[in-house]
Amino acid sequence: MRKYETFFIVDPDLSDETNAAVDSKIDSIVTSNGGEVLTYVPWGKRKLAYAIRKRTRGLYVLMEYAGGPTLVAELERNLRIDERILKFITVMLEERFDPEKERERKAAQKAVVAPFTEDEESAAIPLGAEEEEEEMPEDFEVEGVTDEDEEEE
Amino acid sequence: MMTVRRKRRTFARRKICRFCVDSDLRIDYKDSKTLRYFVTERGKIVPRRISGNCAKHQRELTLAIKRARQIALLPFTATHML
Repeated sequence: MRKYETFFIVDPDLSDETNAAVDSKIDSIVTSNGGEVLTYVPWGKRKLAYAIRKRTRGLYVLMEYAGGPTLVAELERNLRIDERILKFITVMLEERFDPEKERERKAAQKAVVAPFTEDEESAAIPLGAEEEEEEMPEDFEVEGVTDEDEEEE
Repeated sequence: MMTVRRKRRTFARRKICRFCVDSDLRIDYKDSKTLRYFVTERGKIVPRRISGNCAKHQRELTLAIKRARQIALLPFTATHML
């Protein structure tokens, strides 16, 4: 199995029920094709950089999932058909990915992190950092960067 | 000899790849705020000689910007306003 993410834009003018229908539809496509949805995170409505189908706003959704290449083909075919999806992009994150092992690894990590003491700090942090790699970049600050430029003189 | 060295240094001062300096800063096509810094007002990708990125990170950045354009996080051009 591989790990993919699909980032897609849903029509922003839909009601909550239709949004839920879109969610469940996509979920069922992934699961019925032998995949597994890992995360499904709506990013909220954003202004688009350019108009798509005469819409200037869009509801962004990020979905990470495990599955094979046929699943991606099937999912993309369905997304193209669906009128409610304005645009999508699929990116492969990992070539070899086993959701079972991932769960075990996560469980093991939690066991390590839970009895957290000062001594374990150095060992626990790199593991945690790796885990959060694909999380939402909520705190993109550009300020820190400009400071560094000056420091390097 | 000295002047050459000094000149090089002044150049090197500005040309620092911020992705090499700050390993926390990741190149992600979904992170439009960071990418926007490497795009001109017209939406062009800022060349390496201006931004000072290293070759490796510039390649990654270019890919990320192109992906961000696909999903309408970044503009292809500035003249898309309705």
